[in-house]
Amino acid sequence: MDLGPQIKSVPLSLGRPTRQLLQTGALIGFWWLIQSLVNALHLPLPGSMVGLVLLWVMLDRGVLPLHWLEHGADGLLKHLMLFFVPAMLALVDHPEMLSLLGVKLFVTVLACTLIVMAGTACVVELGFRLCHGSVR
Amino acid sequence: MAPFAKALFWCVCTLAVYLAARRLHRACGRWWSSPLLVTWTACGLLIVLLRASYHEYLAGTHWLVWLLGPATIAFAIPIHRHRAMIRQHWLLLSVGVVVGSLLAIATSWAFASFFELSPELRASLLPRSITTPLAMDASRLLGGVPELTAVFTALTGLFGAAVGETLLHVLPVRSYFARGALFGMGAHGAGVAKATELGQEEGVIASLIMIFSGQFTILLVALTTLL
Repeated sequence: MDLGPQIKSVPLSLGRPTRQLLQTGALIGFWWLIQSLVNALHLPLPGSMVGLVLLWVMLDRGVLPLHWLEHGADGLLKHLMLFFVPAMLALVDHPEMLSLLGVKLFVTVLACTLIVMAGTACVVELGFRLCHGSVR
Repeated sequence: MAPFAKALFWCVCTLAVYLAARRLHRACGRWWSSPLLVTWTACGLLIVLLRASYHEYLAGTHWLVWLLGPATIAFAIPIHRHRAMIRQHWLLLSVGVVVGSLLAIATSWAFASFFELSPELRASLLPRSITTPLAMDASRLLGGVPELTAVFTALTGLFGAAVGETLLHVLPVRSYFARGALFGMGAHGAGVAKATELGQEEGVIASLIMIFSGQFTILLVALTTLL
């Protein structure tokens, strides 16, 4: 029985979870590096924003191939909401939100969201019709 | 319980609730079954019922919040994937992003002034229309409370995704572009999921509008802090 080719192909055929884990690790490392740089240089921008633009440029210029990172990135983005739920639970430390203040904030969020959605959609629709003559 | 055991408990608890909520959402798919809403309310109730403190909770789950940075960087991948769409429609995308972001900031400002909210709360409200990790960064730059911004932003997303379709019936909006922009600008992450249900193109426009409006708002905020 010849096991040669199978053994040789092992490093190339990492399972999807392993690849995803490695790529996620690479993204974390990249973010950490950028964040340290931003801190050291006292840039007035968050490190995540600087890293996003840098990674975008590197992908666009072909410095980094998309398949090196895409599984890790898709995984992180898929679970994005899990990452900010702990921050949202800080609400248990803000009992003042259960008063009139909370109602004011609630009304503000709902009303502003409606205005933003309607306003943006109408302006973009107008622009689309100007650019394309008709719809679709 | 030892602090370490407590931390481990909250970590396992959050992950378990989240995984169960995802399963529930896949089965019924309504806005109220959103894993975000379910995980948030379930863990919140548990903290209150067990008389735990937020400090204890965060000890076990802080590493999740820490992953927001790498996740934000990961937005570079969808931008790169849809570069053809961006090149084709850069003008209209820019119009949507600039108009939507300014409108979001201006309306939050106006309501905060009308209700005479504290400067801290106003700063926490301003970036609530963009994707949560960037909104929290913007809030930090503005002197707001990032945790409260996360709450306002999530409310925005949940509400926007829930009423978006009704709004589309009322408004004279027919193009896939405007429908995508409505969800991406108004309801960020939750809106992108909703827009993708309407169609592939709507979903792509929504995600691009969401990412670019986040970047635009951050740049705007960083500029104002420099002045």
